[in-house]
Amino acid sequence: MKRERQETVVATETEDEKGKGRMEAEEDGGVDELLAALGYKIRSTDMADVAQKLEQLEMAMGSSAAANDDALLSHLASDAVHYNPSDLSTWVDTILSEFNAPSPPLPPPPLSPAPLQHHFDLPPAGTEQNSTITTVDVPSGPRCQADAYHLDPLHVPAVAGRIVYGSDTQSEVSPPSRDRKRMKLCSSPPSSSSTTDAATSPAALPVVVVDTQESGIRLVHALMACAEAVQQDNLKAADALVKQITVLATSQGGAMRKVAGYFAEALARRLYRPQPARNLGRSTLDFAAFDDMLHQYFYESCPYLKFAHFTANQAILEAFAGCRRVHVVDFGMREGLQWPALLQALALRPGGPPSFRLTGIGPPQPDHSDALQEVGWKLAQFADTIRVDFRYRGFVAASLADLEPYMLLGPDASDRDSEEEPEAVAVNSVFELHRLLARQGALEKVLGTIRAMRPRIVTVVEQEANHNGETFLERFTEALHYYSTMFDSLEGGVSAASDAAVGGGRRDQAMSEVYLGRQICNVVACEGADRTERHEALAQWRVRMGRAGFEPVPIGSNAFKQASMLLALFAGGDGYRVEEKDGSLTLGWHTRPLITTSAWRIASAAC
Amino acid sequence: MLTREEGEEEQEEEEEAKGRRRAFSINDNVDLLAEILGRLDGRSLAVAGCVCRLWNALGRRDSVWEAVCHRHVAGGGSSAAGGGCSTRSVVAALGGYRRLYRLCIGPALDRLAGSAGGRGSTTTTAAAAAAHHLSLSLSLSLFSIDCYERLGGRQQPPASLLFLCKPVDVS
Repeated sequence: MKRERQETVVATETEDEKGKGRMEAEEDGGVDELLAALGYKIRSTDMADVAQKLEQLEMAMGSSAAANDDALLSHLASDAVHYNPSDLSTWVDTILSEFNAPSPPLPPPPLSPAPLQHHFDLPPAGTEQNSTITTVDVPSGPRCQADAYHLDPLHVPAVAGRIVYGSDTQSEVSPPSRDRKRMKLCSSPPSSSSTTDAATSPAALPVVVVDTQESGIRLVHALMACAEAVQQDNLKAADALVKQITVLATSQGGAMRKVAGYFAEALARRLYRPQPARNLGRSTLDFAAFDDMLHQYFYESCPYLKFAHFTANQAILEAFAGCRRVHVVDFGMREGLQWPALLQALALRPGGPPSFRLTGIGPPQPDHSDALQEVGWKLAQFADTIRVDFRYRGFVAASLADLEPYMLLGPDASDRDSEEEPEAVAVNSVFELHRLLARQGALEKVLGTIRAMRPRIVTVVEQEANHNGETFLERFTEALHYYSTMFDSLEGGVSAASDAAVGGGRRDQAMSEVYLGRQICNVVACEGADRTERHEALAQWRVRMGRAGFEPVPIGSNAFKQASMLLALFAGGDGYRVEEKDGSLTLGWHTRPLITTSAWRIASAAC
Repeated sequence: MLTREEGEEEQEEEEEAKGRRRAFSINDNVDLLAEILGRLDGRSLAVAGCVCRLWNALGRRDSVWEAVCHRHVAGGGSSAAGGGCSTRSVVAALGGYRRLYRLCIGPALDRLAGSAGGRGSTTTTAAAAAAHHLSLSLSLSLFSIDCYERLGGRQQPPASLLFLCKPVDVS
């Protein structure tokens, strides 16, 4: 109530200021971005009001200092600062906490321009009786200004009737620190007054690095706001926000900075390259080779892929119990790192090893080198040393949907069909199925192909996140949370393992981050057929597999034990958690599940 | 075992006292020595290999390291003779128990003991606690991946076991 009265008082008083206020409002275009870099989202509708109120305050503050009056007023008139009131309080809080800790209270910090300092020694409000300020004209004027700005720490006794200037008021720590904060706020416009060089000015601003948590929250808000702007096709706002994100990200450390960096880059790509960026899709051949290398680093530095391989292998091993002829189809062959362990386990199983056939599927290579064949040769060599009967076949396919069942079952099957028992088939897919969701009907076709092979077991490892939501904002939010957790786990795991190993560990971590950064780019910047990183959560995969005629096979406790043991071996591994959920195993970081291994077989009662 | 050794030492002293007509040294009975050394932990066995040429040769015997491995991991020693044979041949094909210990089991045990904190005061208790968590099958899986990586002449050194390695302090 009181505030309303005060505001009406303000309104009537500033009638004559409206002309100036309007003028300032027109200058807003240039100032907007700069303040956006400071973290204030200015809405143009608010700006005129804020300008008026601020003018009033500054006039009141400067009105009694006769000597500098004109300079101050003219200065302020042309370089008014516009605040978003709601943001200001939080900014003030953080500055307070920042500056209350070290305590150089009395002398005002040497900020340009000098004439302003004197006036900004005046504490806008103070908790002490002897350092309150009020205007001469309107007893409650500044108070209402403070209210309008929602400055919580300024618990000013409503009317004190005194004006205090200069350093003789500086008896307490807190008011001066508020001064300093206020000084910083107000001194920023002079250095950035009418320039439109948004890029350079933020660097020149005496921006205070506030405590990380606060700016971290602001960073997340900025990311969300940018995503919203993109969804609403508000490109100008999105552009400004991207720049803001980049600046804010530098104040963070570690995982958050990197995640924010990748998301900002992805958003920038989305804004500036509306054409589907071909080099982000899997179709480009150069991408494939680099991707393999990154995949290798990702394998080495963190447990996700190892977890995937070990749990899938255990499920396949159990499914192959008692079979003399086995056939494994791997949808993503790469370096074949999953298979030595399975071969060794089969060699050591009671009853001896079966005869093992492996079909590896991979993307076309840029230099036409036969990477698949090389991998097959290496595996054959390995199988030879441990004396397991091994046959290999590689398939180059740009997309899994290009495969047909007859290709995979192949001539080998028909040779021995009549003589020996039919081979037991296992299909393995590690982070491959979600790519099929980019094209309509592709997944159904592949699942049909799998069914046609009548496998004993299908092992599927996928990310436990929904990055395939209907709206961009949904996907963005999910991806932000997911990749923040992933990057956190990289920080925690790798840094603990290799404190002194500067070369190897850091490089692995950096490359793993690039690997994840590519996924981020794909999720955020691509659309349509190019957006191949369409991760979906286990619940959604259950529905899809159920529709295709598969039923879940519970993964046994052996796999759980082995996975737990494996994670115990990773330094910094206490953050990792293995959980069992309805027969599937999930690996997560602290409370957030990140990847899930599930096993399937053809539903016995085909409805 | 120790009492037998002590007994032999006494006997040795006796016999020395008898004028050194017949001296017995543990080094005379290599199999016995191998049996004894096979009960050490990995680090001690490696140290024992620095004593003399004979002990060094014994320290390279895979059977000694096989005993060490089985002693320190769960699920190793309990396998039946038939299973043990096939395991031995597979491990031999992959590079042997000594290599298995050096590359996988040793670092893994160190890692587990380290992460167990200041629990066990002596290394043996810590190692025993660690062995509870490590299984032979897991170590063999990791070992096989490493062996696979070394095939075919890679340009980069195999790195699948890097996550187990502690940084080497060369200060």
